[in-house]
Amino acid sequence: MESFTLTQQLLQFMVTGLTIGSIYAMVAIGFNIIYNVTEVLNLAQGEFVMLGGLIMVSLHVALGLPLVAAFAATVATVTVVGMLLDRLAIRPVRQPTVMSLIIATVAASMIFKGLAMLIWGKNPYDLPAFSGREPILLGGLVIQSQYLWVIGFMVLVTVLLALFFNRTILGKAMRACSDNGAAARLVGINTQQMVLLAFAVSAAIGAVAGITLTPIALMDYDRGAMLAIKGFAAAILGGLGSFPGAILGGIILGLIESYGAGLLLSGYKDAYALIVLLLVLFLRPSGILGGMAAARSKRV
Amino acid sequence: MSKTAAPLLAIEQLTAGYGPITAIKGVSLAVTAGQVVSIIGANGAGKTTLLKAVSGMNRATRGRIVFNGREITRLAADRIVSLGLSQVAEGRQIFAHMSVADNIELGAYLFHRQRKRQLIDEGKEAVYTMFPVLAKRAGQIAGTLSGGEQQMLAIARALMARPTLLLLDEPSMGLAPLIVRDIFRTIEQLHAGGTTILLVEQNARAALQVADYAYVLETGRVVLEGPARQLADDPKVKRAYLGIG
Ligand SMILES: Nc1ncnc2c1ncn2[C@@H]1O[C@H](COP(=O)(O)OP(=O)(O)O)[C@@H](O)[C@H]1O
Ligand SMILES: [Mg+2]
Repeated sequence: MESFTLTQQLLQFMVTGLTIGSIYAMVAIGFNIIYNVTEVLNLAQGEFVMLGGLIMVSLHVALGLPLVAAFAATVATVTVVGMLLDRLAIRPVRQPTVMSLIIATVAASMIFKGLAMLIWGKNPYDLPAFSGREPILLGGLVIQSQYLWVIGFMVLVTVLLALFFNRTILGKAMRACSDNGAAARLVGINTQQMVLLAFAVSAAIGAVAGITLTPIALMDYDRGAMLAIKGFAAAILGGLGSFPGAILGGIILGLIESYGAGLLLSGYKDAYALIVLLLVLFLRPSGILGGMAAARSKRV
Repeated sequence: MSKTAAPLLAIEQLTAGYGPITAIKGVSLAVTAGQVVSIIGANGAGKTTLLKAVSGMNRATRGRIVFNGREITRLAADRIVSLGLSQVAEGRQIFAHMSVADNIELGAYLFHRQRKRQLIDEGKEAVYTMFPVLAKRAGQIAGTLSGGEQQMLAIARALMARPTLLLLDEPSMGLAPLIVRDIFRTIEQLHAGGTTILLVEQNARAALQVADYAYVLETGRVVLEGPARQLADDPKVKRAYLGIG
């Protein structure tokens, strides 16, 4: 088993791509939730991922909280951070235009990054893999078990969100806000509450992405911006606002990165996302699943 | 109209507009419980602005709005709905990307939050009985309904909140004559069932026919008011709004 065949190697890249793509998909879903309710691109979305990873390290590794408890506490903490972002940076904006709100999220992301550097310093942190580092051998493939956790959590997040948006009245109320904000108020929906909820849910998903990613890729204070860009590229690629699009876009982007780094130039790993982003914006700005028949909900 | 009992809705000297534009100036009107009151007026007279001020979608700059004995002038729109005042907005404003059933479900959003399951189920039964076509199309995306069906959906959604007062902003706008007749029949039906309605219309003839009392709005001011029957006989109204004489 010293040398892999080409097929095995291609499959290996695919698994890596699916894993990284799942992270991008989660970031992209977070973008879409806030975008659909507010039309704001929350450029601090990547900071939720960074905070998820680092807070998890502190609770699980430094404080020794058991995995599940630390996981739950981390998600809860980052959720509160997301709500604070809405209350302290978004809602107080005096003349809220989409542009001024986006700038507020950029400012917030710099503040998060600065605070993270003060708290955790500049070194990257590791986190134990959820079920050990013993790789799983599968038909000649070597798969880190943590990869499966990442993909599994992406699937879980997707299923839970689908249930939330289609089966619960709060989820429907959030869709109503993105469908027609004025009408939402007329049926008694407090739209500010829905915006707060959107930030909370997005932050929670970002935290899950960060917690599951850290055992694979480590985490440091400076990772948020790049993750935000990748997630944004995935959201644009899939069609901004579309959840199936976010997953598709994330996976495609992950695969491009994985194969690009493995077969072409590994040094340009981060450039692939930007190239994809630019190509989509030039060729098909509505993305893969964007701008379908108007009758179909573009939001869900 | 009896002036002794306090009206369900009282608008006093209301001024409202958009930034520097004043669209209504010192408008006063009253709606007695159980009645249909119509506001007629040409395009741009300020009818929509007035209704939006009542429903909390647009702030009044001066004056007072009292609903059911409580001042609502500065309340948020979602609070006003919870007090029993629902608006069917101009242009229907349904949730176009959502299903008919979801639109109706969301009409009862407040009852969902209060876990009043029974009120929701009763409401659904009532609106589906009133508009059988909506039951037939429950699973369809609302944006694919015909104009008339969308208007019925907008009314059904508003009724799900069990309003004491229903505001209707030009429900007949852009609809074929046969459908318009259906809509006005619905209004009569609601009236007979005891719902109080404040109706805004450019279709003055039909609006005066269903109403007990009416107001004429011109460039943001009330220029005429009276029992609807009396107004329909008024020579000025006949000439300007009914195309007679
Ligand atoms: N969003 C708006 N911004 C600025 N002016 C408006 C707006 N909506 C309506 N107006 C103006 O306010 C006046 C009253 O409009 P409106 O209340 O819509 O009249 P109506 O419903 O009777 O047709 C009109 O002169 C209209 O041009
Ligand atoms: Mg109007």
